[in-house]
Amino acid sequence: MAALSVAERLSAVGTANALELRGVTRLFGALAALTDVTLTVRPGERRAVLGSNGAGKTTLFNCITGDFPSTSGTIRFFGEDVTHFPPHERIRRGLRRTYQISALFTGLSVIDNVYLACRGVSRGRFSLIRPSRNDALMNSAENLVQAVHLTAVKDQLVAELSHGQQRQLEIALALAGAPRFILFDEPAAGLSPTERAELIVILTSLPPHIGYIVIEHDMDVALRVVESVTMMHNGRIFKEGRPEEIESDPEVQELYLGGGHG
Amino acid sequence: MAMVEAARTDATRPEGWSLAATFQAHPALWLLAAFMLVLPAFASNFVLIEIFGWAMILGMIALSLMFLAGYGGMVSLVQMTVAGCAGYMVAIFGTSVMTDISLGWPWWVGVPLAIVIAVIFGTLSGVLSVRTEGIYTIMITLAIASAFYYFTLQNYTIFNGFSGFNAVRTPVAFGVDWRSPVPFYYLILFWAVLAYLVVVYVSRTPFGLALQGTRDNARRMAALGFNVTAHRVAAYAFAALIAAIAGVLLVWHGGQISPGTAGVGPVIDILIIAVVGGMSRPIGAFIGAIIYVILRTFALDALVAVGLDGKRFQLLIGLGFLLIVLFSPDGILGLWARWRARQRNNDRRA
Amino acid sequence: MNTFIGRHPVWSLVIVIAIAILLFLIFAVWPPELEQVLGRKRIFLSALLNGITLGGLYFLVASGFTLIFGLMRNVNLAHGSLYLFGGYFGYEIASWTGSWVFALVATFVVVAILGIVLQFTIFRWMEGQDLRQTLVTIAISLILADLMLWRWGGDFYQVPMPTWLGGPVEVPLVTAVRSSGELVYLQYPLVRLVILLGAIVIGILMWLALNRTKVGMLVRAGVDDRDMLSATGVRVQLIFLTVFAFGAGLAGFTGVVGGTFQSLQQGEDIKILLASLVVVIVGGMGSIPGAAVGALLIGLADQFGTVYMPTYAVVLTFVIMVVVLAVRPQGLLRGR
Repeated sequence: MAALSVAERLSAVGTANALELRGVTRLFGALAALTDVTLTVRPGERRAVLGSNGAGKTTLFNCITGDFPSTSGTIRFFGEDVTHFPPHERIRRGLRRTYQISALFTGLSVIDNVYLACRGVSRGRFSLIRPSRNDALMNSAENLVQAVHLTAVKDQLVAELSHGQQRQLEIALALAGAPRFILFDEPAAGLSPTERAELIVILTSLPPHIGYIVIEHDMDVALRVVESVTMMHNGRIFKEGRPEEIESDPEVQELYLGGGHG
Repeated sequence: MAMVEAARTDATRPEGWSLAATFQAHPALWLLAAFMLVLPAFASNFVLIEIFGWAMILGMIALSLMFLAGYGGMVSLVQMTVAGCAGYMVAIFGTSVMTDISLGWPWWVGVPLAIVIAVIFGTLSGVLSVRTEGIYTIMITLAIASAFYYFTLQNYTIFNGFSGFNAVRTPVAFGVDWRSPVPFYYLILFWAVLAYLVVVYVSRTPFGLALQGTRDNARRMAALGFNVTAHRVAAYAFAALIAAIAGVLLVWHGGQISPGTAGVGPVIDILIIAVVGGMSRPIGAFIGAIIYVILRTFALDALVAVGLDGKRFQLLIGLGFLLIVLFSPDGILGLWARWRARQRNNDRRA
Repeated sequence: MNTFIGRHPVWSLVIVIAIAILLFLIFAVWPPELEQVLGRKRIFLSALLNGITLGGLYFLVASGFTLIFGLMRNVNLAHGSLYLFGGYFGYEIASWTGSWVFALVATFVVVAILGIVLQFTIFRWMEGQDLRQTLVTIAISLILADLMLWRWGGDFYQVPMPTWLGGPVEVPLVTAVRSSGELVYLQYPLVRLVILLGAIVIGILMWLALNRTKVGMLVRAGVDDRDMLSATGVRVQLIFLTVFAFGAGLAGFTGVVGGTFQSLQQGEDIKILLASLVVVIVGGMGSIPGAAVGALLIGLADQFGTVYMPTYAVVLTFVIMVVVLAVRPQGLLRGR
């Protein structure tokens, strides 16, 4: 699927919601990781999904991207029913995600990783020709590496990067091509305060048409970069609202915000 | 698969690959190239064909295994079988002593057809193997390899069963008898070098990089938009092409093919060659092959000299292989890399 | 089973019909028209029983193989060598002492000890390195194969059978009806029936051990999730030793059994290894019931193929494997 320009994509979107989940359930044997999740996210909306460990947040992401198929329910991405699509088909339609534990290609260099991300959503994945000096995709990759401040280490193997650098690379992979919606799974995990500030800048300076959902334990980061919050508990959606509403909600406080950050 | 050190590609030259630059970086390559090119001037026919020629053929087959294992993380034992399949097809489409089976077609029809069939076989084997976890690949490909062995052993209408095909003649083309030692040596050298260069080149193309991505993190590749299964199957097809060409050279080399040519023994031998040489760089396949061929040729005399029965060659291979896997699992290349690292450390300290 | 029927109604019907046809073929007297199409009933019954008993043999070997893989992720390609070594060893013991039963026990113990040595000195240090372990097993099988060739050569060996196991028995299955109206029953070698019974008993004991004992439950948990096993604080290495020893001992034991009603010779190690591979691919890795189902299928395919399609008997076995890989790559009985 050729990479459409942003304008073409926006005009094609129409009034469809970016993400629409209806009755999504995910069972692992007898364990219900997600039960009857119904969720609607508008294009360009920035949302946080919060909840304690085991609430089903990462499972939710896995179902949306198709890493695990949902046991039942439907998932629509910009109006298209992607419930039975394999992950790569969903990604080619503009979905992106990052992983809680960096999922990088440890045997390849930083620039190779980003190049693959750019290649994955464009033509020529099976090309047997090496990229030339002026290759457009290679230029995109280098720009992306610059955007996350990794140009100095672009030829280093991923295995040799620091944790913070790996997390930055993780974000870069999700920004490749022309994303329409991104799922960030605990992007601030293990970052130093400076790195966290950088992360907030990256997230808030994303173009307005790109919506995202952030899973986070760090409330400071999460509530600064989103306009709406969904709380999950035991695999179900527990509450939804604006950050201020959620913060001051007594039920939420009792469950999560009382003793400090989850 | 932590043991198979990921085949590294040269990350410092992303904009393209230049033959001249490679030679500049590794001066030893000059010597090697010169040596291989002028070898026929001073080596005997035996050394040319039975040592170097044979080593390059086995090296090509091991290269196809290394491509799948080192770049793709898939240890496929079906590569030797693909070569055997190509060899059988050459015998069947061309001339041999079995005049009631061999079709006697000219080589420029039979050989390409043989390669196509072998590549299809290799690709289908890939289709069967790639949808399971990596650890099963060895089992499944071993089972497919033995299925081929037993089938050729028991089928007489096409494969002539136990005897196989003898007197498979290498063609005389463009006025050259390609099986006479010097031309045949250069023919093998050409294809082996070409295969090697192509593998090195492809490793940094989108196809090759994508394959390495699926090795390092298949799930992430899917989450980047790649169809992982399709890439793996394509890798099998590419590797099968290399093995098929080697298979044609194989049947011409021996002038015969039988079930035992691609039996479980030779199938495992290719794995041993690839592992002993080292699966982190393509050259490892050829390093392993030359060691194997030299061992095989001179082991008999060596064993007798030490006082052991010359027939205990397999025991020698098994022990050697065990030692390598226990103490240097990344093979000779690994030993060399560690030696070089120690040299660099010593230089730094000095 | 009810869920299976609920989710696959068509397949369930097919299976029921297939079983009904099978039962008819086995128990009813065949009319002459049927005999003309399918051949003599006696041959059919022999093939059937040979297939089932061969399946029993395959089950014994494959279950050890699948346990070792399931728990320790070690594709033990030396399993066939352990079988053959056990067979040769049992042959020596049986010839020397004259006791078949003693040979069985002694072989189990000795090969189990060999397994303990291998696990303790080599595999223990390679946990998590699946490929490396497999390569080591290949090296060991090469070494063992050559040592066995050195000691026992290329001849055929047969483990001497005790006299009380010899000879045929009458099995209550009708093969034909004499013109006098008298029913003719099938004569079948007793030793094969005893071995089948033994395989079933051992299978049941293994199932009980895995499902009713504490060690067994730890093993099953480990098969499902190895990290969880170490989290329980139990001595994981001890469990690995036990399972490898048991798997190896069972392989050696089965070598004696196989050497009794089949024969032993160079190359048998590879044949039995390949049979085990196909059985666990078909049945599902890490699953004992899968090994049983796979073994039964492959044993039957092997024997029916040999009788009814001699040129392509081997192909039938591999066709089954290919079909399973294409349709349900994780094996028939494995989830996921």
